[in-house]
Amino acid sequence: MQKFMFIIKEDLAELEKAGNDERQRCIRVMTAWVESLQESVNFLSGSPLEVEGRYVVRDRVISDGPFVEAKEGISGYILVDAENLEQAAAIAQGCPFVQQGRMAIEVRPLFAPNNAS
Amino acid sequence: MGIVQIEVDGLYRSQFGKMLSSLLRFSGDIDLESAEDIVQDTFSAALVSWEKDGLPDNPAAWLFRVSRNRALNKVREAKKFSNKIVEGNIEPEDPVVQHSPLDDQQLVLLFACAHPDLAPKVQVVITLKYVVNLKVEAIARIFGLTIDGIDKMLLRARQKIRDERILFLEPSAAALTSRLASVHKILYLIFNEGYKSSWGKELIREELCEEALIMTRALCKSAVGNPDSGALYALMLFNAARLKARFGKDGELLDLEEQDRTLWDGDLIRLAVTHLSASRGSGISSYYCEAAIAGLHCAAESLGATNWDAIILIYKQLLRIQANPFVELNYAVALYYGGYKEQALGILHELEKQAFLGQYYLLHASLGRIYAAEGNKELAREYFRNTLQLTHAPDEIAFVRRLINKVE
Repeated sequence: MQKFMFIIKEDLAELEKAGNDERQRCIRVMTAWVESLQESVNFLSGSPLEVEGRYVVRDRVISDGPFVEAKEGISGYILVDAENLEQAAAIAQGCPFVQQGRMAIEVRPLFAPNNAS
Repeated sequence: MGIVQIEVDGLYRSQFGKMLSSLLRFSGDIDLESAEDIVQDTFSAALVSWEKDGLPDNPAAWLFRVSRNRALNKVREAKKFSNKIVEGNIEPEDPVVQHSPLDDQQLVLLFACAHPDLAPKVQVVITLKYVVNLKVEAIARIFGLTIDGIDKMLLRARQKIRDERILFLEPSAAALTSRLASVHKILYLIFNEGYKSSWGKELIREELCEEALIMTRALCKSAVGNPDSGALYALMLFNAARLKARFGKDGELLDLEEQDRTLWDGDLIRLAVTHLSASRGSGISSYYCEAAIAGLHCAAESLGATNWDAIILIYKQLLRIQANPFVELNYAVALYYGGYKEQALGILHELEKQAFLGQYYLLHASLGRIYAAEGNKELAREYFRNTLQLTHAPDEIAFVRRLINKVE
């Protein structure tokens, strides 16, 4: 088993427009999916992220950050256990919002110094 | 249903996967879709022919012979008939058909389905299709999906099955060992799918539990099984022992407190205890922990008489193996029943702040029950109402409504 991070990406401008009730509804759908990941003993942890944030570079803090307007901004993360990258990707593919084309998920293995490949 | 239809259905359940894999092994020129079509057509042809002429002496052998001939014709038509046909007999060595016992060939298929590149849910679906031999309609019903949804899932898996020749090549000895954990997970998921109370009393659910038990027992008896297989088997047996007691006389869902414990199957519990103690290996698996918890519930004469302190300790162990908020939820509930109220509520309210858990019906249901038990009607009602917003399963809704009525 290896650990992977699902970096969830979607249109943050849309997300902001949608408002709180709609976001709660989406989180409910994601919760059902997360529950299925827990059943198959893959789920470790995760959370959606607020749309607001700060973007920091060497000499300044850009208050709004470039991500508010981002078409593919990071809207959440999920940490899972999976057999390998293929399986992790196959699991991510099962996300209902990915199926609908509303989300993209970047699947990245956590760096593990002892099994560098 | 006529006798022929029943016979054909029975043979489908016991032979579909085996016929498929033997066709794939028979000729490298046949792809998965064609092989599935041939096997399906063979069953249709059997129905027509046997209705007319009566059952042949050996129906299974008939099916294998006809499907092989159809495969041969198909290969010939494709003008690929060269030297790729493997010599030999593809009829089963013992064509006497028995419905249940898992034989070696099915075990091989099970390990083939546990391919590490497939998502666990897809592994389960293809196991139900090729090892348990369920039809796509039945699989769709089990997962509450449309046939189209299952087909799409299979479509992606088929590519992999084809590219990697998953049903065609026997997994190597090394693969058998490395896939054992995935096989356990598949069996665990199939059993749980059957055990889920949210679906109510459906015949197909009990059949799933039964199939999972049969496959797990065969795995335990085979050379590949390990202590985890035994722990998993014990877990299933403990839960199976309580299957019949989970619903009341009107089919309503009963919780542990309401269940008539005299209906629990003592033989299954004893068998489970034997397997659990035999499975104490060097490392303790999550299956072992879950089985031990289920065993403590089975051993108790009433909910109040349950050894909660032992259950709490096992949950702590389980959290070390499998740290996630869903396990924490169960741990907190055990803490509450064990008398550690403040600690339990502290954990549950922390979980409530998490985005996903905050939308999880069982968290709200648990908080509702705890506040009801504490006599805080107002909070109990609020959490039960939240629960109703978060679940769609009719049996669960009825269950929560009953809890709300109790509070009033």
